[in-house]
Amino acid sequence: MQDEVLLKVEHLCQYFGPTKAVDDVSFEVKRGEVFGLVGESGCGKTTTGRSIIKLYDITGGNVYFRGRRICAGTKSYKDAIVEARKRYADACKDKELSPDEVAKIKAETQAEIADQKLQMKKAIADQKNGDKIYAKELCQQVKDEYEAKIAAANNQEELQAIKAEYAVALRKAKKQKFITRIQMIYQDPIASLDPRMTVEEIIAEGLRIQGEKDKKVIREKVYNVLEMVGLVKEHATRFPHEFSGGQRQRIGVARSVIMGPEMIIADEPVSALDVSIQAQVINLLNELREKMGLTILFIAHDLSVVKYFSDRIGVMYYGKMVELAPSDELFLNPMHPYTKSLLSAVPLPDPQYEKKRQRIEYKPLEAHDYSEDKPTFREVKPGHFVMCNQAEYDKIIMELK
Amino acid sequence: MMAREKKLQVKDLKVSFKTINGKVQAVRNISFDLYKGETLAIVGESGSGKSVTNRAILGILAPNAIVESGEVIYDGKDLLKITEDEFYHIRGDKISMIFQDPLSSLNPIVKIGKQMTEAMLLKGKANQKENKSMLNSYIKALEGYLNKAKNVGRLPADKDINSMLNIYKSILLKGSKLEEAYYSAKNSASNGIKDVSDLIFMLEKNSVKDLAGDVKEIVELAKASVHPYVVDEAVVAPVVEEVKQGFQMAKRGDNQPLIDALKKLLAIFTEGDNKAKISSFAKAYYDMHGDNSISLDLPLEQLNEKLEQYLENKFMKDFTEYTVAALRTADDDMVETRTAAINYINEMLAKFEADGDMVDNAKLSAFEKKSAELVEKGINPLCTYKVSPAYIYKTSVEEAIRVYHASKKNNEAEAARYAAESKKYEKLVASGKTPDWKVVPANIVDLSLNLANIRAIAERVLADFQYSMDNVPDFVKEAENFTDKMQVYAAGAVQQITKVIAKNRAIKLMEEVGIAEPRRRYNQYPFEFSGGMRQRIVIAIALSADPDVLICDEPTTALDVTIQSQILELINNIKKARNVSVIFITHDLGVVANMADRVAVMYAGKIVEIGTADEIFYEPAHPYTWALLSSMPDLDTKEKLDSIPGTPPNMIYPPVGDAFADRNRYAVAMDYKAQPPMFKISDSHYAATWLLHPQAPKVDPPKSVLDRINRMKARMEEQEAAGKEE
Repeated sequence: MQDEVLLKVEHLCQYFGPTKAVDDVSFEVKRGEVFGLVGESGCGKTTTGRSIIKLYDITGGNVYFRGRRICAGTKSYKDAIVEARKRYADACKDKELSPDEVAKIKAETQAEIADQKLQMKKAIADQKNGDKIYAKELCQQVKDEYEAKIAAANNQEELQAIKAEYAVALRKAKKQKFITRIQMIYQDPIASLDPRMTVEEIIAEGLRIQGEKDKKVIREKVYNVLEMVGLVKEHATRFPHEFSGGQRQRIGVARSVIMGPEMIIADEPVSALDVSIQAQVINLLNELREKMGLTILFIAHDLSVVKYFSDRIGVMYYGKMVELAPSDELFLNPMHPYTKSLLSAVPLPDPQYEKKRQRIEYKPLEAHDYSEDKPTFREVKPGHFVMCNQAEYDKIIMELK
Repeated sequence: MMAREKKLQVKDLKVSFKTINGKVQAVRNISFDLYKGETLAIVGESGSGKSVTNRAILGILAPNAIVESGEVIYDGKDLLKITEDEFYHIRGDKISMIFQDPLSSLNPIVKIGKQMTEAMLLKGKANQKENKSMLNSYIKALEGYLNKAKNVGRLPADKDINSMLNIYKSILLKGSKLEEAYYSAKNSASNGIKDVSDLIFMLEKNSVKDLAGDVKEIVELAKASVHPYVVDEAVVAPVVEEVKQGFQMAKRGDNQPLIDALKKLLAIFTEGDNKAKISSFAKAYYDMHGDNSISLDLPLEQLNEKLEQYLENKFMKDFTEYTVAALRTADDDMVETRTAAINYINEMLAKFEADGDMVDNAKLSAFEKKSAELVEKGINPLCTYKVSPAYIYKTSVEEAIRVYHASKKNNEAEAARYAAESKKYEKLVASGKTPDWKVVPANIVDLSLNLANIRAIAERVLADFQYSMDNVPDFVKEAENFTDKMQVYAAGAVQQITKVIAKNRAIKLMEEVGIAEPRRRYNQYPFEFSGGMRQRIVIAIALSADPDVLICDEPTTALDVTIQSQILELINNIKKARNVSVIFITHDLGVVANMADRVAVMYAGKIVEIGTADEIFYEPAHPYTWALLSSMPDLDTKEKLDSIPGTPPNMIYPPVGDAFADRNRYAVAMDYKAQPPMFKISDSHYAATWLLHPQAPKVDPPKSVLDRINRMKARMEEQEAAGKEE
C-alpha cells in the first residue's frame, strides 16, 4: 500500500435546513486502501458518501481528490465574515477605545472580510466549475499531444488518420468529468437498475455519456467487465429482472467499474443480499481491488463484514465522526463509549458466546460532561483518533500507559 | 428430553405455486414442532421456502398457491382446513407476524396511534365475548356432568349443584376483577418508578425537553397507582401536591424543590411496587360469603394464608371433589361413545379394504358424515387441553375427501390437456417446424396417496381414542387443570379495553420498543418515521395482541446493529415474560445464535438440518450448513470467504436427488440419484444428507468451519477460565 492520500475530507458539513446530517467530519483515504464507515441508520454515513461525489452541494468544508478540490462549502467563510463584522460592531460600541483604534480595527476587519469573500468566490468556483477546468486541462493535454503528432506526420494518409483520431480524443476529453473518477455502488440492486434497459445498455450508459460512440469498443468493454465481475457475455442482452439478487449487484459493480474509476464508494452493497451471495460480492470486490488497485470507501452497518473488508474504520454518531482507527485496533481497543456500545451489539454465530453477551448502552448525557469543555477530534495513539475533550483525553492517555 | 407442550405442529406440509411456466414446488414435505416458550429459527437463502411455510401457517398465501398436503395443528385445529371466520380468532391474536418490510405493512394515511390501538380495541371486545362464552359453556358442561354424577350415585343427592356453580362463577369473576385492579395499580407504580427516576436524572443534567408533559404523566400515574394494596391515597396525595408546586418553581428556574418532591414520590412508588400481592380469589369469596372471622388488618402474608385457607375449607375442597366426580362420570361416558366411534370406523375401513379402496362418492360422503358425528360425541366437553386429533377430525376428513374428489376431476382434465397439447406439438414437428414452446407435463395427482391420507386421519383418531381408554387419567390433576383454565377465561371475560387503556398500552409498547417521546409520536403519520422506527412500530403492533406464537419474518434485516440488538433483546424478554413461542426467519447466523433454542436449515423447500442451536453451530452435519457458516465473516475471519457457487435449482423441475448436490463440493454419487432421508444424529439433531449413511465416505467439514468452531471453543474456555478466576 502506498502512502499517497487519494481522498481528503476536511471539516465536511452537510446541513438540510436545521438538520445537521454531517457536522464537521474530517478523514483521509489513502490510495489502495479500504476505508470503512459505520454507524447506525441516520448517522450521516450515506450522506457523507453522497456529498463526496457531489450528489449534494455541501454546506461547509472541503473535499480534495488527488490533491484537487472537488467540493467546497461556504459555511466557514460566511461564519468568519459574520464574526469579523461583529467584532467591528463591538468595537464601535466600546466607548473606551479611541477613534484611531476603532479605525485600525475597521481596516483590519475589512481586510479580513475582503479576504474571506475572495476565498468564498474561489470555493464557489471550484464547486461549480471544477469539472470544466479539468476538462479544459485534459483538452490542452490532448491538443499538445496531437499537435506534436501532426507535426511529425510523414504523409497525407497518416495525417488524415491522426486528425480523425484527434477529433475523437478531443470530443471525449471535453466530456470528461473529474468526479467520475469516483464511482458509486448502491445499496439496493433492484431499485438502482432501470428495468427497461438491457444489461449492456445499463453498463455502457456512462461510456456513452462520456462521448464513446464506437459500438464495437463499447461492446468489447462491456464484455470485459462482465467477465471481470463473474458474469458471461450472454447476459448482456438480458434485462435486470432475469437475474438473481447477487447477479444484479454484480451488474451494479460492473457499471461502476467500466468507467475505470480510481475510487469506489460502496454504499451498503451487501446489506440487501443473502449470506451466501454476500460472500460472493465481497470476494468480487476484493478481487477487483487487487486487480485494479481500487480504493474503496465502504459504508455499511454490518460490523463483521466491515471488519473483514476494511483496513481502517471510521465510526459516526449523529453526524459526527467519534472514532477512527485501523480496523484491528478499533475492535481490540475501542475508546469512545459509543464505539464500545456498537461493538457490544454485534451478534456472532456462536450460541454460547451469545448467551453471555451483554449489550452496553450508550447514553451521551451520562457518558460525557461537555457542559464546559467541548470535545474535539484528537489522536490518542498513532493512527487512532477519538472525539473527546481534555479531561477524557487525559484519562485515555493514562489508561494507555 | 422432557416432554413439553407442543404449541404448533407442522406435518408433511407441501405448498406449490401455479405459474404460467408450470408448477413451482416451493415447500416440499416439511415437518416440525414448535414447543411452548421456545424460539425456532428457520435459516436459508431467499426462495428456500421459509416465508412460504410461515405464510401457510397464517393462512395468507398468495392466491396462486396450492396447499397440496399436510397439516398445521394449533390448539387442536388444523389451520390449513379451518374457515376464514375461524381464522379471525387466530390470526394476529393467537399467532402474530412481524413482516420484513415495514414500509408496506403500515397504512400511510392513518396516524400511528390509531393503527396501534385499532386491533387492540376490536380484539378486546371480541376476546371478552369469546372468553365469556367459553367460560359459560364449560360451566354448563360441568353442570350437566355433575347432575349425571348425582344420578349415578357418585355424589350425594342433597347438594344444590346450581347454587354451588353460581358461587364458583361469582368467585371467578369478582376475583378476576380484583386481580385486574391490583395489576393495573401495580403497573402504574412500576411505570412510575421508571418515569420518575428518568425525570430526576434529566432534571439533574438540566436537559428536560417537555417538563409539563412529563409532570402531567407522572401525576396521572400517581393517581392510577392508588389501590388498597399498592399505594395509599392519603400518603400519595400530599406528595403529588408537592410535585405540582415544585413544577411551578421549576418553570421559574429552580429545579431543586421538584427533584426533592419526585424523590419522595419515587420512594412511595418503590414501596408500592414491592408489596406482596393479595390473594384475589380468596378475598373475593370472603367479601361475598365471609363471616367476619378474619381481621383484614393483618399483615398481608398472614392475611393471604388465612383467606386461602378459608376458601379452601369452606368451598374449594368440596368443589374439587365434585369436579373430580364430574370428570370421572364424563370419562365413563366417553368410553361408551368412543367405543361406538372406534367400532364404526374400524368396520368401515375394513370394508374399504375389501373393496380395494375403490370407493364411490356417495359411500365416502356417508362415511364422512357418520364418522364425524361419532367422533364429535367422543370428545370430552370438560377437557381443556386440546391435543387430541379428534378435534380436527371433522375438518380434516372433509378436506381430505374434497381433495380426493377434486384430484380425480383434475387428473381427467390434465390428461386430456396433455394429450391435446402433445398432439399439437407432434403435428408441428411432423410438418418440419421447431416449436418454441414445450408441452407442460401433465399434473397428475396420485389418488392412492389421497386415500391413504383419509385412512391416516381416521387411524390417528382411532389410536388416540384407544389410548385414552387404556390410560385412565389422574382426575385430581385434571380438576386442577380445569380450575386453572377457568381462571384464565374469567380473567379474559372481565378484561375491558377502553380507548384510554388502549392508548396507554400503545404508548407503553412504543416506549418498550425504544421510541423516544412516544406521546408526541403517537399522533404522527408513518412517513414521519424512519425505516428503523417504522419497523419498531410494526413490532409493537404485533406484540399488542399478546400472541401465543410470534412469527418474525426477517424483522431486523433492515436495521442497524444497535437497534437490531435492542429489538432482539426486546423479543427475547417478551418471550420469557409471556412464554411465547417464536418462529424466527432470518439469514443472519449471528442473530440465529442469539435468538434460537433450535434451528432448522432450509434449502429448496426442504428442511435439510434441524437441531438445537449448539448442535447446529458446533456440530453441523449438512454440507449446506457448512457452506452457510463459512460464507459469513465473523470478527476473526481473515482468509478468503467460501462463497457457495451457483444458484438454487429451478423448483419447477426439482432435481431427483439432493437439491443441493450441484453446488455441493462433498456430493456423493447417491446425492444425484435419490433424496436423502432425515438421518438421526441425536435425539434432537437430524440432517438430510447421504454423508451420514453408514456406507458413505467419512468427510470432515471444511477447514474454515472447523477453525471457527475451534475458535468458539477456545473463546468459551477462556471465558470459563476468566469466570473461575473471578
